[in-house]
Order: sequence, then C-alpha cells, then structure tokens
Amino acid sequence: MKNFLSRYSLRYPRFLVYMLQASEYSIRDYLAWYHRTKDFAHVEHRKHLVRTPKAVILLVIAWFFVVVLLGAVIVIFRSTSAPVSYILLLLTVLLAPYILAYALMIPLVILYVLIQRPIEAVIIRRARTRLKAHKAVKIGIAGSFGKTTIREILKTVLSEGKKTAAPPHSYNTPLGISRFVSTLTGDEDILIFELGEYYPGDIKKLCRLVHPDIGVITGVNEAHLEKFKTLERTAETVYELADYLGIKPVYVNGESEYAQKHTRAGHIIYSRESVGEWKIANQKTDLGGTSFTLSGDGKTLELASGLLGLHQVGPLAAAGAIALSLGLSPDQVKSGIEKTKPFDHRLEPKTDASGVVTLDDSYNGNPDGVRAVIEFLASLRDCRRWYVTPGLVEMGVRTREVHKEIGRSLARSGIEKIVLIKNSVTSFIEEGLQEEQYKGDIMWFDDALAAYAALPHMTVKGDVVLLQNDWPDQYQ
Amino acid sequence: MKKNIAVIFGGRSAEHDVSIITAHTPIIQSLLAAGQFDVWPIYIAKDGSWYADRAMNDLTYFTKDDFSARLARQKKVRLLFDNGLQIISPGIRSKTIHIDIAFPAMHGTFGEDGSLMGLLRMAGVPFVGCDIFASAVAMDKVLTKQVVAAEGIPVVPYVWFTKNDWETKKDQYKQKIKALHWPLFVKPVHLGSSIAIAKVKDDAALENAVEVALHYDDKVLVEESVENLIEVTLPIMGNDDLRLAGIERPLNKTEFFDFNDKYLSGGKKTGGVNSQYSQIPADIDSALAMQVEDFGRRTYHVLGCSGIARVDFLIDSATKQVYVNEVNTLPGSLYHHNWKKVGVSGVELVTKLVALAEEYFTAHQDLTYTFTSSILKSAGGSKIM
Repeated sequence: MKNFLSRYSLRYPRFLVYMLQASEYSIRDYLAWYHRTKDFAHVEHRKHLVRTPKAVILLVIAWFFVVVLLGAVIVIFRSTSAPVSYILLLLTVLLAPYILAYALMIPLVILYVLIQRPIEAVIIRRARTRLKAHKAVKIGIAGSFGKTTIREILKTVLSEGKKTAAPPHSYNTPLGISRFVSTLTGDEDILIFELGEYYPGDIKKLCRLVHPDIGVITGVNEAHLEKFKTLERTAETVYELADYLGIKPVYVNGESEYAQKHTRAGHIIYSRESVGEWKIANQKTDLGGTSFTLSGDGKTLELASGLLGLHQVGPLAAAGAIALSLGLSPDQVKSGIEKTKPFDHRLEPKTDASGVVTLDDSYNGNPDGVRAVIEFLASLRDCRRWYVTPGLVEMGVRTREVHKEIGRSLARSGIEKIVLIKNSVTSFIEEGLQEEQYKGDIMWFDDALAAYAALPHMTVKGDVVLLQNDWPDQYQ
Repeated sequence: MKKNIAVIFGGRSAEHDVSIITAHTPIIQSLLAAGQFDVWPIYIAKDGSWYADRAMNDLTYFTKDDFSARLARQKKVRLLFDNGLQIISPGIRSKTIHIDIAFPAMHGTFGEDGSLMGLLRMAGVPFVGCDIFASAVAMDKVLTKQVVAAEGIPVVPYVWFTKNDWETKKDQYKQKIKALHWPLFVKPVHLGSSIAIAKVKDDAALENAVEVALHYDDKVLVEESVENLIEVTLPIMGNDDLRLAGIERPLNKTEFFDFNDKYLSGGKKTGGVNSQYSQIPADIDSALAMQVEDFGRRTYHVLGCSGIARVDFLIDSATKQVYVNEVNTLPGSLYHHNWKKVGVSGVELVTKLVALAEEYFTAHQDLTYTFTSSILKSAGGSKIM
C-alpha cells in the first residue's frame, strides 16, 4: 500500500525525471528501471537529480502533464453521470502515475528526433571523415570487461615512444568517440579506442567509425547479459571487431573461456603464460604490485607494474608485445610498464592512518574480474581479509549461478570476513558460501552506505578490505 | 532480541562538545555497526536539559548550522530511575523503553567525575566504564597523586591548595611552592582536557596562572615540570584481567599537550581524538616501556578502575624516571585509534566494554547491601544510638 501510494507523492514527477537522467535518457533502461521499482519514495538514494537544462524542461513538462491529468479528472467527473463518472474517475486516478511515466517519453523522443539525432549525426560524420584521413595506427578494444584497464596500460606504455591519444573516462559510444576525435591535433602516432557494446551491431558500427588496424578482445562474459540474453550473442557482438579486422592483428584474452572459444586462425592469444610467441615467467604479485619476465625474439624483459593481481600479467604482456611490434624499444616498454598504476576504483589500494588497506574495486562488476580479484585477495598472507559486495548487476538468467560461484570461491579462498549488502542477489552468494561450508564471518547491511560507514569501526591495523562493485540507484 | 543501550553524552561541563564527539566516534557508530544493539542517544544540553531522539545518533545533528534552532523545537525526554533506567519518549504516542545497559560518554564535571555513575548505580542499571569511586578519585588530580603515591608509584613533587587556602594563607603556600624545582605547572584539580593549565617560570606568571585556574576550580595543583620530558599515555581495558593498548606518545608542537592539540588539531580529519599527532607504539626503550606498563596496571588497580581508563605518564628521558601524572576514566573517543593499532576494532572495543559492564554489574549484584534489622521497631524508644 505504502509503495502504491508513493506514486502519488508530490515528488513523483521529479523522481521520474531523475530516473530518466540517471539512465542517461535511454528509454529502454528507464522503462526497465521503472518497471522494477516498487517504492518510489526512495529512488534518489545515492545521487540526486542534477538540474541540467534538459532535466528542467522535462520537469516543467511533467508538471504540465500533471495539470492536464487533473483537468481531465474534473472534466470527466462533470461531463458524465454516476456511476460511469465514478468508474472513469477511479480509472484515471489509478492510471495517472503510469500515464505520466510514459507521457514523459514523448517530449524526449521529439527532442531526440528533431534536435539531438541530427546534431549527433553531423558530429559523427565529421569524426568519421577525420579519422579516415588520420595517419595514426588505430587500436580498437572490445570485450565484456577489462577494456578500460588495457586502454590505460596501452596508453601508458605506448606513450613512452609514440604520441598516443585515447578518449578519457568510458567514452566508448559513437558520440563519445566523435567528441574526442574533435580534440585531436592530427599529429598523433597512435589512437586507442574502447568500443562499447550494449546491443548487437554496436561494435560493427564503431569499427566503421574508427577503422581499427589492431584489435584487442579482452573477454566475453555475463556483463550486460540482460541486454544480450545469451553469451553467444555477446560473443558475436564482441567478435564484430575481429570480423572487421580480417587478417589484421587481433589479440584475444586466453583467460576468458568464452572469448577463446571464438578465436580464429591468426589471432594472437594472451594470458599470464604467454602472448603469441612471447613466453612469460616468474609471475609475482602482492600489495606492492606485479612483476614478470617476458621473453622471445632473442630478448628478455624484466617487467614490473604497480597494478595488482596475476590477472594483470596477460594485459600487461599484451601491451608490451603490441608496443614492441609498433617499434618501441625493450627499454621503453620496461619503463612504460613500470609507470602503469592502479586506476581509479579498479583494485586501487589506499592505506588509511590506522593502517587499514582498502582495495577499491568498485568499478569492477563482472564475473571474470571478480574471480581474478578473489584470487588476488586469497594470495595475500599475514592479514585479515574483508570482502564487501552488493553483488553484480545485469547477469540475466545466469544471476543465481554467477553469485553462487562467487560464494563458493570466497569460501574456498578462506577470506575471513564477508560483508554482504541486502538485495536480490546477495542471498545467492550466501548459498554458495554455505555450499562450501564457509567458516568465516558473514555480515549483512541494508545498504552499501551503511556498510561503508561501519567498516572503519570493524577493521584494525593490517586488515585488507576489498570493496567489490557498487550499485547505482537503478539497481537498489 | 537486540539490547537497548543508552549512550549518555553532552552535559554541563567544559568538555560538552568533546563528549559529543566521543559519544559518536566511536561509541554510537561502533554500537550501530555491531548490529546487536538498539542505540538510544541521551543528550544532556549545556543548560542541563535531557533529550533522547534517535536522530541524535547521527553526529551531523550537532554539527549543522541550525542545531540550536532544532534543539529548541526538540521535546525533552522523561526518565525513570526506579528498578532500572527507562526512557519515556515525549509526545502523544509516548513510548517507554527499558534500557538494558548505559554507556556514559560524558567528559569532565557531572559525567566523568562519578556523578552520573552514582545516578546509574541508584537506578540499578549496568553501565560501561569506571564506577563512582574510581571516577571521583581520578577526577581529582591531587587525590589521584595521593592514592598512587601511597602505593609506591612515583609522582612529580607538588603543592595543592583550595581557593580559600590561597586567599587566606597565600604566603604560606607560596613558600611551599618556592621550594619546588621550577618551572612549574599550574592546574585546576578537577578539569580534564588540559583546560586552564599553564607552565610558569616566575612568580608573576604563577600568580596569574593560579588566578586563571581558580576561575575554573576551587582546588589547584602546582607541580614541578619534568625536564627532558617524554609524555606517554596508556589506555587500559578490563575489570580484573587487564588488556593494554599501545603506549602512545603525543607528537605535539606546543610546549605541552593542551586542549587544542588533543581535540582540535587531530579531530577534524578523522572524526576522532588525537589520531594524527601521536606515535604508537611510543619510541621509548623497552625497560621504560615495561615500567610504564607496570605502573599503568598498578595505578588502574589501586584506583579500582573498571571497563576502561587511560593512565598518563611523564618521563624524564635523561634520568629514565617514570611518573604517573593522572588517570582519565573516559579517554577521549575511547582512544579507539590506539586500540585499532593493537588489533581491537571499534566494534570489538564497544562490545567488549559492554560485556565488561555486565560482568561488573553481575559481580556487584552478588554483594549484600541490605540486611534485615529490627532497628525501626526500636525507634521512638529510649535511645537507639
């Protein structure tokens, strides 16, 4: 009842606009969120509506619709007689929140079709022409996970010998990439692009925009499975990059089972053991970083990086191999790898004044990344280890299994403390933990903020706390 | 079922604001994080009014600009002290909450000096920390020295007097003070957090400092200052079996560790007291450390401390002489930053203190306080004394 009435709150129109904004005005995501939501009183939880011009216009339109609906109620009541008037009135009142939620999409579609799409088309067309004429070697990165990591590694390493540029943040859509292209000076030697996949055909579209010369496929897994429905479709979409490249070099992460399944002759496989013909040995990792030896082609490179975890060896070595193939010297590669450091919120270690080490891995929300990180946490000795997670989102039909597997691997790793956030998926992690007869402590919190507030009071000097993934409001 | 725990803080004391910090960081926040308690904040305002609103579990209630306005609108709470402590929430839908355990978080006068403990004892509710007797003695720096010295533990030579003593027999006391080895420290006897403490090097400064100290207190302590000084402090937890935290050395910039160093400089960043400006464990040689620990345990014991306390020491690094300086029965923020460094988290600290309080309460319930007598029957008779 309380949930039902929350649709009649004065703040309801604002929450709808917030949901649109937080979904980046994607109607599909907005509707999915809308239908998932039961309690509209607590939609703005982690963030709040930012009053951008677009949001303000939508807010005004939303209130206009509210007035129209109220007018309709009065007109209906006056123009019809009982009992029809009462029935119609009841129907209008009951349906009003839903009508409003859908009606809000009308101005959005009009805005998109009449203004946004034509402008974007111009921007993208310009970028395509510009990129076609650009002499730089273009590297395209596709995959369900790990794109930003390898982009950053490549950028850091290649910058040692070449003028290298890559879009910042997670600019991996046609528009994001095109905006970045407009900032290029034209004298870059290498351009690196993350190719975002949200729906089938996305990568193909992006390839036509950036014209990659080298491809990196970081892996295929359950990330965005809710959109792709099957892993096969995800793999096909990711491999649109390989389709485009044909006989040009494609590096494929051999540690991703689904990615490797689709490799073709001529693809270069990278893993913690090797990259194509290059062999890797002496792999070591701890809280200080990761090191290994890369040998082949008569050369041996002793490499060390600030990145944590043996799962980083493959991408680091692949970046080294690509750099060598593009003419960088072994010394340049060595110095580039040395400069690679944990990126924001991706297994980024921070030690506080009381000596507690927090590993912020809140941007890592995919099963392969999680597996790698649990493996890393398990490898740490002489410390009490904490694993804090709300679970993963958009795992579709694999939700239960993916989370049970997280639970099982946590139990097998002997992580001492598990902090779970109550939601629709974390009980599956608990199931997995129980299946493997987990002996440590499981602590439950109502939301992530409560857990983050409690953690400083639960930890002591020397503890290592891993924050795995973070859920935005859409998934609360 | 969760235990109802009342955290009592604020109070009519110079350390009112510090108490708010201690109550929240770590006490309330850790109790909430522990998940085993229903936490009821009981806030005593500077004017002595009592409030109990769960919104006060959040420290920001007290730090927001409109705090005074909000407090003015807040309804006062009523309390019952017979047969346990009960909170009666104000309003039409009045609710009575039986408190299972009290967690005093009041520094200084009326709180840390044993007054609150007396009230809680009478109510018959278990409470965390030192009982009335240890609290009252520890609150008086002179009494502390007298008790500790009687146990053979070294203290710095001192002279003490009351306001009346100073007004009527000033010359006599000044003679005594002259015999001390200068420079000297002048301290109000009952105040904590180093308020109104001054280091004096000559007679004029002494007069001035005594005047200031007497403004805050009616009993004043004048003691020798320790040369080549290393100040250390040792938080201790337990009733009979004691657990020691790390020996901590404040790395203060000023000549001595005053209120600003203790609370204002370190507190902001970490939300706690004195965490940025100290060294744990203190870099002193092991023989000194052993002596500190030994004196710490003995001082805790002779004062009859229970739950938690902190013993402060002065060390002359040249002569290797260790003196007990004073005892604090409610260390600011429970010195949780220190406990954390020796492996005790905030949650473990507060849950252990709650368990110790229950243990202490149970042990003392077994003591006999009443007995049947026929004395009343004899009342009105010839002579009963």
